[in-house]
Amino acid sequence: MSKDRYSRQSFLGANSEELISRCTVGVPGLGGGGSHIVQQFAHLGFQRYVLYDYDVVEESNLNRLVGAELTDALAETPKLHLAKKMIYGLQPNASIQGFACKWQDKPEPLRECQIVLGCVDSYKAREELEIACRRYLMHYIDIGMDVHGKEKPVIGGQIIQSSPGGLCMRCMGFLTDEKLAAEAARYGDAGHRPQVVWPNGVLASTAVGLAVDLVTNWTRRSRTHTYLAYDGNEETVRESLTLRNLAIKECPHFSGSEVGDPILIEL
Amino acid sequence: MKAHIKMTGELHAAMLKDLTRRHPFAAERVGFVFGQLGSLADGGRLVLLTRYHSIPDDQYLEDHTVGARIGSDALTWAMQAVYHGRHSREGIFHIHLHGHRGETGMSATDRHEIPRLIPGFQSVGRDAGHGIIILSLDHGSGWVWTQGSADPADVECISVIGAPIGVFERRRTE
Amino acid sequence: MAYPTEQTDDLKRYCEKLSLLPEGGVSFLLMEGLRLPAGCQPLVCDALLCPVAKDGYPSRLYLSVQVVSTYTRNWNCSNARIGERNWFAFSWKVELLNPTLTQLLIAHLNGFAKEK
Repeated sequence: MSKDRYSRQSFLGANSEELISRCTVGVPGLGGGGSHIVQQFAHLGFQRYVLYDYDVVEESNLNRLVGAELTDALAETPKLHLAKKMIYGLQPNASIQGFACKWQDKPEPLRECQIVLGCVDSYKAREELEIACRRYLMHYIDIGMDVHGKEKPVIGGQIIQSSPGGLCMRCMGFLTDEKLAAEAARYGDAGHRPQVVWPNGVLASTAVGLAVDLVTNWTRRSRTHTYLAYDGNEETVRESLTLRNLAIKECPHFSGSEVGDPILIEL
Repeated sequence: MKAHIKMTGELHAAMLKDLTRRHPFAAERVGFVFGQLGSLADGGRLVLLTRYHSIPDDQYLEDHTVGARIGSDALTWAMQAVYHGRHSREGIFHIHLHGHRGETGMSATDRHEIPRLIPGFQSVGRDAGHGIIILSLDHGSGWVWTQGSADPADVECISVIGAPIGVFERRRTE
Repeated sequence: MAYPTEQTDDLKRYCEKLSLLPEGGVSFLLMEGLRLPAGCQPLVCDALLCPVAKDGYPSRLYLSVQVVSTYTRNWNCSNARIGERNWFAFSWKVELLNPTLTQLLIAHLNGFAKEK
C-alpha cells in the first residue's frame, strides 16, 4: 500500500495513522447513523471494530443506509454484513468482531473499546449504553435525529460526548427523567421515526470528528464533554444552549469507583 | 487469559506527575493504584483503575543498590487497604515509572522483588485482582494475578481513556 | 443509599438472597429467587426492586424473565440493562404514601393477581 494513502490527513499528526490503527471502536447500531460512521472510520484507517446489529436491509432503509443497494433489500442482507463489506473493502486487514444481536446480549466484547459511538433510537438505549461506558471506561459519543411537526417539519439532532470522569448526558440536560418517562409511556405506539440521509451524515461526520480528535488530539482541545445541537432547517451545528448555561462542574450521577463488574452488597 | 487495563486520563496524568517527582534519595518513586475487575469475552479480565496512593517520602528505605525500596509502613498501609477493600473486591497494583519513552518491562530487580508482594495481597483480598504496573513516559506494561493464581497474566493492552486516548500494547514477539 | 435494616430484613422473607446493587445514582435491591404469586410461570425468578422514581414510575419491579401470568400484562420494558443483566417489567403504577419495602414489593406483585 502506498505511503500516500493517508497523506491528505497528515495534519492529524505525524503518528496519527498508528494511533488510529491501535484504537478499538464500538458501534452498536449499523443503521442510518452507524453505516455512515463505519464507512468514515474505514476511510480514516481504523482497524479494530466491535459491531452490533441484528437487523436486515429493507426497502425502507434504502433512503439512508450507506452501502446498501437494491439487491440488498431484495436479498435481506444483514446490516452487519454490509458494514463488514464496507470495512474490509477499504481495510482488508481490519479486525472486526461483529454480532448479529443487541449489544446487551453480548456485552463483553464492547468493553475492550476505547470509544463507543451510539446510534440507537431511544433515550433508554442511550442511558444503558452510557452506563456501560462509565462502568467499563469508554468514551461514549451519541448521535440522534428527529423530525417534529407535520405542517412545518423541524429537523433536530444531537452529537454528545460523555467521557468517564466528565459530565454525563444527565448533567448536560439531554437525558431527563421526564424524557424517559414520556418514552416509556409511548411504548408500543412509537411508530416509524423519520430518518433521512443528509442529517444522519452531518451527525455521523461530526461524531467521527470528535472520535478522531480523541485519538489524535489534533485540535489540542482535550474535550471532557461535548453537547452539539443540530438544526436541520438552519443547517447549523452549535454548542447546545443547555451546555452554555451549565452550573454543574462535576458529575454527581456516576462515581469513579463504580466501575467493573457490579458489586453486590449482601444484606 | 487475556488481560487489559484501563484508566482515565486524569488518573494517568496524576500518577505520572507523582512518579516523576524527585525523591530525596531514591532514584525512582513507587505508588499503589487500586482497581476493580471486569469480565471480557472468553474468560479475559479487564482491570479498571480507580484511585492512586502516593507513598510518602519517609516510607522509603535508603538503599542505593535498587531504584527504590519501600519500608514496612508502606507495606502495612497497602495490606490494610486491601483488607478494607475486600468486600468491594478492590485490588491493588504496585506501580512505578521507568523514565524513558517506549515499551517497558520489569528489570531484574523488579522481577525478583515485586512479585513477592502478591501472595500477601491475594490472601487478604481473595476475590480481587492484584498486580504490577510499570509506566514509561509514553507507554506501560502490566501483570495481573487473579483469584488464587500463582502466575500472572501478561497485560496485552493498557488504555488511557483521556483526551487524547492512549493505547499501550504489548509488542507481539514472533 | 442505605435502607432501614428492619425493612430489608423483612424483605428477605420473600426471596432466597437480598443484595444492594448501586448503579447510576440508584440503589436497586436485588432479590434472588423471588417467589411470585400463584398462576405465574415461572413461580420463582430474580427481581430488582427500585424503590425510587424511575422511567416515569414512582417505583418499579424488574424481573429476570418475562413472566406469564393469569392476566395479560403490558410488558413495556424488555431487556432493560441494569447491573450488567437484562430485565423485564410490565406497566404497573404503585402509588403509596411512604410504603415500607415489603409493602412496595407486595403492591407490585399484586400486579399479577389483579385483572386491571
